[in-house]
Amino acid sequence: MPDAILQVRNVVKRFGGIIAVNNISFDVREGEIMGLIGPNGAGKTTLFNCITGIYTPEEGKVYFMGEDITGLPPHKIALKGIARTWQKTRPFKKMTVLEAVTVGALLRTSNVDKAMRKAEEVLKFIGFPEEKINALGKDITLMDHKMVDLARAIATEPKLLLLDEVAAGLRPHEMDRLAEVLRKINSEKGITMIVVEHVMRFVMGLSERIVVMHEGQKIAEGRPEEIANNPKVIEAYLGTKPV
Amino acid sequence: MIDPIIVVANIIDGILMGLLYALVALGLSLIFGLMDIINFAHGDFVMISAYLAWILAMNFMVDPSVTAFVTVPLFFVIGLAIYKVIIEPILGAEPLIQIAVTVGLGFVLQNIALAVFHAEPRSYPAPALNFGINIGPITLVAAKLVAAAVSLVSLFLIHYMLTKTKFGLAIRATSANRMVAPLMGINVGKVYAVVFGLGIALTALGAALYMTWGQVDPYLGASFSLLSWVIVAMGGLGGVIGVLASGLIVGVLEALGSTFITPSARMAVVYLAFFLLLWFRPRGLFARR
Amino acid sequence: MMGAEFKKYFITLAVLTVVLALVPFALGFNQYYILLAATSLIFAVFVVAWNIIGGYAGQLDLAPIAYVGIGGIVAAQLLKYYGITPWVGMFIGAGASMLLAAAIGYPTFRFGIKEVWYALLTASLVVILNNIAHLPQFLGSLDHYLPAKTGWYYLIFTDYQNLYYVILAVLVATIAINLKISNSKTGYYLRAIREDELAAEALGIDVRKYKLKALMTYAGIMGFTGYLYIVLQGTYSYHTFDSPTSLTIAIMGIIGGLGSVAGAFTSAIFLKTVEEYLRSTIGAMIPGLYLLIYGILLIVVGIFKPEGIAALFNWVKKKIGFDRRGA
Repeated sequence: MPDAILQVRNVVKRFGGIIAVNNISFDVREGEIMGLIGPNGAGKTTLFNCITGIYTPEEGKVYFMGEDITGLPPHKIALKGIARTWQKTRPFKKMTVLEAVTVGALLRTSNVDKAMRKAEEVLKFIGFPEEKINALGKDITLMDHKMVDLARAIATEPKLLLLDEVAAGLRPHEMDRLAEVLRKINSEKGITMIVVEHVMRFVMGLSERIVVMHEGQKIAEGRPEEIANNPKVIEAYLGTKPV
Repeated sequence: MIDPIIVVANIIDGILMGLLYALVALGLSLIFGLMDIINFAHGDFVMISAYLAWILAMNFMVDPSVTAFVTVPLFFVIGLAIYKVIIEPILGAEPLIQIAVTVGLGFVLQNIALAVFHAEPRSYPAPALNFGINIGPITLVAAKLVAAAVSLVSLFLIHYMLTKTKFGLAIRATSANRMVAPLMGINVGKVYAVVFGLGIALTALGAALYMTWGQVDPYLGASFSLLSWVIVAMGGLGGVIGVLASGLIVGVLEALGSTFITPSARMAVVYLAFFLLLWFRPRGLFARR
Repeated sequence: MMGAEFKKYFITLAVLTVVLALVPFALGFNQYYILLAATSLIFAVFVVAWNIIGGYAGQLDLAPIAYVGIGGIVAAQLLKYYGITPWVGMFIGAGASMLLAAAIGYPTFRFGIKEVWYALLTASLVVILNNIAHLPQFLGSLDHYLPAKTGWYYLIFTDYQNLYYVILAVLVATIAINLKISNSKTGYYLRAIREDELAAEALGIDVRKYKLKALMTYAGIMGFTGYLYIVLQGTYSYHTFDSPTSLTIAIMGIIGGLGSVAGAFTSAIFLKTVEEYLRSTIGAMIPGLYLLIYGILLIVVGIFKPEGIAALFNWVKKKIGFDRRGA
């Protein structure tokens, strides 16, 4: 039974009078790909931001590899070994793809040449077209952006990678390619992943285990097949009890 | 020991001035809330329209406040033009460039004034309202009372416009969500242009009122700019009420600084307030949308 | 940095140094022209240093003259009242400026102040220092003069060439510092911060720390050079904290192109030379003409060519294949 690399314990996050995350707890096991799904407003992004340090929860704790990381700022979280990708792409428009990924690699080395070589390696690993590595951030496609975002994050040598609705806006064949890359990253680099997602086909096919959120709470947890047939989950999405 | 009557008189003066500052700052606040653009040159528009008010007053031998009937609509049009030519092209640009362009605009205005009028301060020699009104032991300058009254009425009118008219609703909707506003049938470009024009027109009104007792030199803009920024930083995006409250606070702060420290420290107190405000205000104010 | 890059920069810088060193000769040692050249050169130092905070870190700092003034006045006063040579005083001045930068920068970056509010804050700083310096306890209303001595101990001379060469040395060092930063981890991190702070933070970058580093480096260079600026000016007073001059440095930086050392240098030399020419010809009749032109230029560049003069350099670089960027 693999150890829990991330432990979320009774996390509560409020915004004024609204409780976005309402006492949620779950483990993420080392080496797995875990999906985090739920209808709009379920609190997935808020929880995501609590883990990555953008928000500090009012109550509860987050443990990473046994260490309490609750409330640490984002750059320290990255240093500890948690990386993330962005739902709304945040490209480095005036830097080249290679330079952007080099920024990520510089977290673990101060030598720019070494970091750049590492960046080249990562880009090759995920299958980014070599002829485009010197293209500027503003000149590449959406799919390219997502790959660069991924490469940037991987270059920081994380143990845990959080993906924020990475499949949004992609066409089916792009989604398949992305899923393949993610599986490769998981199996060959041993990086644990949490996939926050709306696109069912993508997350169901990719995850070994899924946690479902609704109105800030965890309503189900289990393998994709179990979740798909779980009446509570169906009700949360459709708003009515299943017939 | 400072005579309490002087303190009270100065505070009242601060309140009166605060209303005028609020009027001028309102334009900046509307523009910033709507377009995320802080017009570095805001105070310099006050300066330029003050010169224009002065020229008209001198030429036609009328009280500067009367010139507002000409300068305000004129500056509304000038505001529209500046929006179209300078602001609209940079709406999508990187923030540093946006700020830089308005810095450049301020520079241009200041140095046009310097070139044309040179550095000596100008004022209208015989303003009509330059007499005192005695309320008990305190003497108030009538011109300032009128300025405050006009400011208050104008602030109220704009508040009414923002909250009760269709156009005001369009402004607030666009402020809240500029992506969705067009879907509601709002012509965002037109809203931006009109609001910018309005903001500049308000500076002209403030300037005309100010010239009934004050004097203008090419660097007048710096004081009005600073006062406007402090007001916007303090309560600026809360519509007219927020600007009004902040204006009063700033006016009184300035008066207190002048009373208890030295008269030349009046701006120093405002600057200090500005620094402290920026450092200790909740982050939410500065998040770009 | 990689061997080929380093060689490229070294050669360019060496050529530039030699060319600039020959200028006094080319000017026939005419003192008026050399003073002009020295002034242009010192502004080149200012603008290239400003590029660290404005271009690399992307913060619109409008207080360069604050750091120049503090550093310069500290060194000048140390010489005047304690006889301490500026060779030591300039370093102390740099320290004073860096202290000021840290005092302002730490809370400013900690509270996440950026963009407009940072610009306003820094613009206010110059005015505040101007007012403080005006107080009788400090510089009062009078002009202050440096001791009427000459020689290398004082860095004051009867002719201007020696000063010119000292400033040239400072310029070369400043350019070297910029290039070093640009190609280092700090340079990459600053660029990332300028592009997108949130994304940068998620990649492990301590945004506040790096902004502060950039600010203090720039402030240090400005503070160090301050004394030389005062020598060129001849006097110092509260007027040293002059807002238009401060804004001008930032404007030159923007027109040069944010992040471009070549652009910063070219912008400063070119604009300052034109400014001096205008000032000596039409200047008496139309005060502030050159400032007006700066304002117009800034607006035009901002609207039409925000990359500034650097765009020209990039075009040239591409043409002669100096650029690695393909795509």
